[in-house]
Amino acid sequence: MEQPVQTETWKARSLEELVRMLHQIFAEDKVSVDEVQALMESYESNPEEWLQYAKFDQYRYTRNLVDNGNGKFNLMILCWGEGHGSSIHDHTDSHCFMKILQGNLKETLFEWPEKKGNGEMIKKSERVLRENQCAYINDSIGLHRVENISHTEPAVSLHLYSPPFDTCNTFDQRTGHKHKVTMTFYSQFGERTVC
Amino acid sequence: LPAGLSQWFPALEVLDVSGTGLTEMGTELLSLPCLHTLLAKNNRLGGPGSLPKGLGQAPLARSLRVLNLSGNRFSELPPALLQLRGLRSLSLGGNRLHGIPPDIQELQSLEFLYLGGNFITAIPPELAKLPSLRYLVLCDNKIQSIPPQLAQLHSLRSLSLHNNLLTYLPREILNLVHLDELSLRGNPLVVRFVRDLTYNPPSLQELAGRTVKTRNVPYAPSDLPESLVRYLSLASNCPNPKCGGVYFDSCVRQIKFVDFCGKYRLPLMHYLCSPECSSPFSSASQSSTSQSESDSEDEASVAAHRMQKVLLG
Repeated sequence: MEQPVQTETWKARSLEELVRMLHQIFAEDKVSVDEVQALMESYESNPEEWLQYAKFDQYRYTRNLVDNGNGKFNLMILCWGEGHGSSIHDHTDSHCFMKILQGNLKETLFEWPEKKGNGEMIKKSERVLRENQCAYINDSIGLHRVENISHTEPAVSLHLYSPPFDTCNTFDQRTGHKHKVTMTFYSQFGERTVC
Repeated sequence: LPAGLSQWFPALEVLDVSGTGLTEMGTELLSLPCLHTLLAKNNRLGGPGSLPKGLGQAPLARSLRVLNLSGNRFSELPPALLQLRGLRSLSLGGNRLHGIPPDIQELQSLEFLYLGGNFITAIPPELAKLPSLRYLVLCDNKIQSIPPQLAQLHSLRSLSLHNNLLTYLPREILNLVHLDELSLRGNPLVVRFVRDLTYNPPSLQELAGRTVKTRNVPYAPSDLPESLVRYLSLASNCPNPKCGGVYFDSCVRQIKFVDFCGKYRLPLMHYLCSPECSSPFSSASQSSTSQSESDSEDEASVAAHRMQKVLLG
């Protein structure tokens, strides 16, 4: 009797396990985007495991570093209050994975503007990501804006960036003009960063 | 609310009844002397009697600091709410509000006001009389213009205006020195340089008033009827630095673009005393945005660095 061929699907049963498995994956020379996305999606969000990183700010969304992946990636938790959103931004040639841990986030994809950037940026698509879903983007796919469009519920998301980066470009939707910005962490490893 | 709540839990400080299908919050609230946080999101509040009568006389009126009524069915801000003098944080996001009552100024301790996701069309200037307001959210509404008085909110740190119907902002917005965040995306903001030369000729009263002011004609309150004394005090200075003129009601509206952070162009509404008073480069055509940049640079450069983060893009 033939054995059915099965493709292995890893499942992370806790946030700690997810981090460990990510370290293993990124220790290799080659990393599969699909594998990372599937792994992140497999983790069933358990607030008890990440509450210590989920520090909200009244005025804007926060970035809270969870793990720095031995320099290979940054894993962080973003906290979005009601109505909080990001500007349109790129990802500085890195891979970006975004998993919803709580609530919903709307992702709007944009085309790269023309060199001169003299017109309204073109929206490619938009979608609302649900709890535990994991999205992926990189510069060749396009630019995006992420926002919590809920006026009643905060949202929390888990992001993995590889390689890590701390600057990116933000774009003016009306003109396509770009502006380089430096990103900072609101907290690192559960401790509030004082700037 | 369950009857006897205040008897079982007289020391209650935080009450969360979100997502319970409540249609009204009754008199039990009035007997909770220590309550400082009341969360009642995602219910069916909004009809008459949603809030109990006598709220203003209850201990709650002084003790309540945080009230969250987002995700309900309020079509107007319940007047009873305005009696909560100690309120610091109010959220009515995701309701059915069509406006904001001028009496909102009664909530003098308010620091945080969330009104996103309603059907608000206009902002009363009285909103500016809230001296402690730091965070104002008006996104996802139907607002067409911002009253210039809003610049009096000197404590304002964050202003959320995205997804409205704004075509321009009042230039006074530059006076908000502590504003760190301003979101404007999803508004039909004017991109091209626009000159609106609709100009109603000034009245005789206006012309006389202008002369009195610009020539420094001396007058005492006993010389004029009180109404004219008041009228003279309302003179606005023409923002054109090369003109020393004033205007009262008759002015030219002109949209100027002011660069913030060197990258974003915000159309700001300027009021000038006459069409001749337009920018020195009065032959500006539609495409010469650089001209609008240079003559607004001086006034903008001082204020521009204060606006640290413009979430326009």
